[in-house]
Amino acid sequence: MKKRSKQFIGTSLPLFRKRLILLVTLLAIGFMSAFAQKVTVKGKVTDETKEGLVGVSVTIKGTTNGTLTDIDGNYILPANVGDQLAFTYVGMKNQTVTVSSSTLNVTMKSDEHVLNEVVAIGYGVSKKQDLTGSIASVNANDIARQPALSPVQSIQGKVSGVNIVNSDEPGSSPTILIRGMGTALSGRNPLYIVDGFPVDDINNISASDIVSMDILKDASSASIYGLRAANGVIIITTKKGQAGSAKVSIDSYFGLKSMANRVKMANASQYIEYFNEKQVSTGGSWTLADASEQSYNTDWYSELLKTGMFNNNTVSVSGGTDKVNYFASYNYYKEDGILSDQDYQRSTIRNNNTYSLFNDRLTLKQNINLSFSGAHPKPLGAFNEAYRQSPLVPVKYANGRYGMPFVNTTTGVVTYEAADGETVGSLNSIGNPMFTVDNYNEYDKTLTLQGGFDAEFKINSFLKFNSRIGATKYYSRNRIFTDIENAWLNTDPTRTESDFETLQSDNEGTTTYADNSLRFDVEETFRWTWENFLSFNKSFGKHNLDAVLGTSREKFGVGYYNTMTGYEVPEKSQYWSLSHVSGDYDNIVDEYSYTPTALASYFLRAQYNYDNKYYFSGTIRRDGSSIFKESGDYWGVFPSFGFGWTISKENFMSSTKWVDYLKLKANWGKLGNQNVPLNVSEILTATGSSSYNYVFGTDQDLVYGAVYGTPAVGLSWEITREWGIGADFSLLDNRLSGSIDYYDKTNTNAILEVTPTLNSEYEENYYDHGAKISNTGVELNLAWKDQINRNLSYEIGFNYSHNKNTVKQVKSAYDGATGGSLSNGEVTKKLLEGQPLYAWWMFETDGVWQNEDEIASNPYYGSPKPGYLRYKDQNDDDVIDDRDKVFFGSYLPTYNYGVHLGLNYKKMDFSVDGYGVGGNKVYNALKGTRIDGGENIAYDTYKNRWTGENSTNTNPGADRDSYASNYYLESGAFFRINNITLGYSFDDLVVRGTSLRLYFTAQNPLIVTGYSGFSPEITTSTGAPNGTTGIELSAYPTTRNFLMGVNLKF
Amino acid sequence: MKNKYLKIASICAVLFLASCSDSSFLDVDSQKNVDADDSEEVYEPVTFVNGVYGMFTDWDYAFSYLGITEIISDNADKGSSSTDTGSDKDILDNLTYTSTDGSIAAMWEHWYKSIGRATTAINYTESYGLTDESYKNRLIGEAKFLRALNYFFLVRGWGAVPIQEQDLVTRASVSDVYAYIESDLLSAIQTLPLKSAYSSSDLGRATKGAAMGLLSKVYLYQENWAKAYAYADSVITSGEYGLESDYSVLWHESSENGTESLFEFQARGESVAHGVQQYSQTQGARGTTGWGWGFNVPSDDMLEVFNDEGDTIRRDATIIFRNSTLWDGRVVGATENPMYNLKAYSSADAGAEDTDKNIRYLRLGEIYLIRAEAANELGNTDQALSDLNTIRERVKLADVTTTDQDELREAIWHERRLELAFEHDRWFDLIRTGQAASVMQALGKPFVEGKHELFPIPNAQLIQTPDMEQNPNW
Repeated sequence: MKKRSKQFIGTSLPLFRKRLILLVTLLAIGFMSAFAQKVTVKGKVTDETKEGLVGVSVTIKGTTNGTLTDIDGNYILPANVGDQLAFTYVGMKNQTVTVSSSTLNVTMKSDEHVLNEVVAIGYGVSKKQDLTGSIASVNANDIARQPALSPVQSIQGKVSGVNIVNSDEPGSSPTILIRGMGTALSGRNPLYIVDGFPVDDINNISASDIVSMDILKDASSASIYGLRAANGVIIITTKKGQAGSAKVSIDSYFGLKSMANRVKMANASQYIEYFNEKQVSTGGSWTLADASEQSYNTDWYSELLKTGMFNNNTVSVSGGTDKVNYFASYNYYKEDGILSDQDYQRSTIRNNNTYSLFNDRLTLKQNINLSFSGAHPKPLGAFNEAYRQSPLVPVKYANGRYGMPFVNTTTGVVTYEAADGETVGSLNSIGNPMFTVDNYNEYDKTLTLQGGFDAEFKINSFLKFNSRIGATKYYSRNRIFTDIENAWLNTDPTRTESDFETLQSDNEGTTTYADNSLRFDVEETFRWTWENFLSFNKSFGKHNLDAVLGTSREKFGVGYYNTMTGYEVPEKSQYWSLSHVSGDYDNIVDEYSYTPTALASYFLRAQYNYDNKYYFSGTIRRDGSSIFKESGDYWGVFPSFGFGWTISKENFMSSTKWVDYLKLKANWGKLGNQNVPLNVSEILTATGSSSYNYVFGTDQDLVYGAVYGTPAVGLSWEITREWGIGADFSLLDNRLSGSIDYYDKTNTNAILEVTPTLNSEYEENYYDHGAKISNTGVELNLAWKDQINRNLSYEIGFNYSHNKNTVKQVKSAYDGATGGSLSNGEVTKKLLEGQPLYAWWMFETDGVWQNEDEIASNPYYGSPKPGYLRYKDQNDDDVIDDRDKVFFGSYLPTYNYGVHLGLNYKKMDFSVDGYGVGGNKVYNALKGTRIDGGENIAYDTYKNRWTGENSTNTNPGADRDSYASNYYLESGAFFRINNITLGYSFDDLVVRGTSLRLYFTAQNPLIVTGYSGFSPEITTSTGAPNGTTGIELSAYPTTRNFLMGVNLKF
Repeated sequence: MKNKYLKIASICAVLFLASCSDSSFLDVDSQKNVDADDSEEVYEPVTFVNGVYGMFTDWDYAFSYLGITEIISDNADKGSSSTDTGSDKDILDNLTYTSTDGSIAAMWEHWYKSIGRATTAINYTESYGLTDESYKNRLIGEAKFLRALNYFFLVRGWGAVPIQEQDLVTRASVSDVYAYIESDLLSAIQTLPLKSAYSSSDLGRATKGAAMGLLSKVYLYQENWAKAYAYADSVITSGEYGLESDYSVLWHESSENGTESLFEFQARGESVAHGVQQYSQTQGARGTTGWGWGFNVPSDDMLEVFNDEGDTIRRDATIIFRNSTLWDGRVVGATENPMYNLKAYSSADAGAEDTDKNIRYLRLGEIYLIRAEAANELGNTDQALSDLNTIRERVKLADVTTTDQDELREAIWHERRLELAFEHDRWFDLIRTGQAASVMQALGKPFVEGKHELFPIPNAQLIQTPDMEQNPNW
């Protein structure tokens, strides 16, 4: 074995710790001469899996005599009978065995204690037990246990303080909130650091390439990334090769997906009954004929949904020498969604190499990741339409055209056909979901090339210098083909192609009547980072000091966007390019370059501890962002401090045997968010008759004027301050470990979108710093791990996080921004001091109007009829208006929790994971929002409806309004068993050294929720708190997945 | 060892060098949007001042404004078809409007936005770096005049209102608002040129005379008789203005910006037409022979007052009658309503959206009546009678001779109604003179004393600023 650098080991990661540390031990102990004694002890040191352990230190207690095990774990050491041999190996529990014979085989037990784990802290690593902040780590095994496209999706429920909202749409990214929602409009995503380089998104990384994810939750940890750390930092480290022969690993799984929580809809006869009641109430002139006379009873969800399929294959090879090591992997992921022809596929290629040069003075790490993806997304509006379209409408008519809600109002039969004198009307204005899916043709391709070099130069034993350079190139091309003629024809089955051609020739050059359109959106971006830092690490007696000083330069958003639309290309997709357009219409082209953002930073971190007992850490980061060019005030300074006290190391604790480890922590820090919306101080002008212009002069000349639409309010960093206290502990022989943390985090100057009050000078909305957003919370982690006997071990984990979100100190007249539009003129959320950010805000229902007299003698809203919901006159002013709308909490959960149970029996492994949230509300807009009353309803809505005076005072009748009220607001609490896995491992199956594991996993086999819609877990692509997050309108439903997989290593 | 330190030093040097060019590194050139500095367009301060005037041409003045100045009063009825409420013109006419009334909210917002434009224009002009001081001061004076004009609407309509430049929530007292208006007008008087001093291409801009005339009216509302008298007098004696000899042409195109005109909302009918959007259309005669929507029609009471006075000249210059022929020869057929507002009629453009109709905001005729009223209050009966009769003589009415102060006051108020009918002054005059309750109640309108003297603060405003106080009894 060759000498290895200590520093390098310092940066190693848990999975490879064993082997690396073995090298350290070799180095530390060096060669030791053997004594000729009475017994030559021989033996083999193995781990629990009977694998030989190389480099285990074997010493005779009380002497300096000792040796190391060889590559197969064998050792030879001369000793006396009765000597005590100490076996030490980092990552394993120390063992002492008395020599009694010449053969002494030892099985080392893993000491995989969480506190010994090494975590990435940004520009370095630290042992978990040396932290003063809160960093949660998820390792490769945890990620692998919950297969998903996005590694973030895999860690849902595994980490406290982190709220992840999954989306099961193929290729989508989950939204992640670390310690609550701290901003109204600025960037909400955490900062991702992949192998030292900041990136926006990690969907281009194969989950199987990840060795660990470290989540920097608190300000004192995250402030090393000052300017973008306000939403937390997630550091991802990818795998590296180890010295030794090539190791090949193959991971594959295949699974099926289906909708997890389907809502039972009303059938044809129930729909007819409901519809007719509405017709009677509204005084409609016709009603629907009985179900027996109708031709169709379509179950739209059965038609729309199919079983999705997903398949993932990874091959990796790793190995190396003491000078060079390598890791290379290829991953292919493919998913077919639960909508027809909806799919996503991604290939990634990764290569991570490490070179040790110049006598190991210089370590060069290189990594590169190439990712290609292709997706055929489908409009999620189809889920909305499937809910609402009447079951009387067919998927297709006999003539092959898609069904539309035409109804013969003379006969009451749902059809477009009518005899002479009969009239045709419409049940509703909802489209055909099958047509929506079938006629939509989008293809999105992306290519992401990401890579970097890290050169580490060892100056001396305590000083090293790193220079890193990394870059990401992203290229995407979206193509949308729209068959305009087909869409036009399918709006009405009686339309003919010749009608369309007539319209086309009558409206020459009008793209509304082009045969089809083809649109491309092309985007290319580039980002780079260059960082240099000097690290110091030295112990002076019991004083240990670790420091980093560095600079960082970064530029991102370098690139352009290009959109092109052409009309009338041949129908076959092979000809879909603008060179094949008919030429009858003008192509539309637009292109612009992005304005890049440049960031410049300086940082200093010092971590000191005395005897691993008293810890102090301090970080200061000075950041500049080009975003603030307008004001010229580029810079912000972000300091933080942390303190730790390992009580368990104090003498007075030594008698407390059941406490193995106890540490108290306190920290404070300041973080920034530079991803803020900027005011564009627009000058409004117009030509012609506009109220910007006026008339002057004897000739009454039109004179142009100008108006400032918005004020030039200078915006700056959103600054978050956070303090926290916590304790880490390990009890009962390290079987019970855990942590508890409290934090108080405040965005001190959140930016709001200000709607100018009627009496303010401004005419358009603008942004300004105007509120504080506070998040306070508690996080608890508990893990119990025990080995009952050689064959049986188990672990139980539990984590819980509570977070309270409050808007505070809103500037006068800045309150009251609304959000959560239902797209029917109704809003559901409002920002107000003292409430959670964009809390639910709507009418409170007060029963159901039973008769006209009741309506006449009470205040009411709109034009109610009996059967409509009644709204409470909260302020008793006999008028129902916006003042009577009240707050109903938030779409943000106040708590979430995860449970984990793992069991290993011999070669079998079994685990169950659960995840739940609570304290949140979701708005069932599928149920609530109706446009014309001809939409279908859920079976429960039908069954429980008001049908006449005193039938119910809770549920509205078939004729009802669509005002936002708490009737449609439901608890969003749910608990999901999100993973059950059963695996079996075969060792040495064909050749010695191979291992094969087969497993079966059920994802989301069970959801417990009181929510009446499809999924209480609702996010939107933007996740904006003032958007439709928390409102079910066109959300992709949660899926239930079953998959089988294999892990093969040799 | 030496070597080692050298290395450290060189690394520190690298770190340092990397940090040298911060400012140029962060000064990223804008690529997506064109920087203001690189824009070809230069905005002269005058364009922002023009933008304040532009507010007079907004739709709000064509509909909401009618509702809360004339339809609400005894002069006018809603008009139009009985089924066409004009959103809220029916409830304004019937005095059953509430704080959610759309017209009231629209004008509240409109006047405040106008004020905002004026303030922006003032600030922009001050900081722009104009070298011609008198030009710069003129522009600021124009904006201040316009700001005062808009605050005057607000203080008359709602009483104590927030002063936008000070606080958006707290309502400044009525006297503070008036003080603010006075300060703007006094400043404008200092810097604005006389009407005759403007170049012909600037006709229509605020003048010294307009500012003085408006200030006299502002003092009239505060019953500061001496100052009202003084400023009205200054206008009359300035030599800049005179009365049109023929009242009937006062609202014709021919008299636009004429001798009697202190300030008008300007409009052009020729393409590119730009008038007070739809002002003539909303009030145009309705029906197959008509050309408009037929809102804001003279009330029977209005007609009766003209007839009782024998004031045919002003009656026929104010009212369009069904089945009549207008002064320009237009034949009015069997329209839906018996009467319409002639002062909104554009001969050239009739029912077009943008017509040539200038709205006369302030004219010398009113200044005479202000001087008359102030003189009467100050005990200068002769002057009061003389001014009143100047106005009456033009329309061939007999002189008023009473020297009783109370009778003369009544006579002047009565004259104001006839002279200024449909000039958007009546409602505020009724409130100012304390006649509103008796007049409106006599017409069967549910005017509540202590309530209807002020408009309600719009509900939409109170939702935005819940700490703002509502007016009494709303």
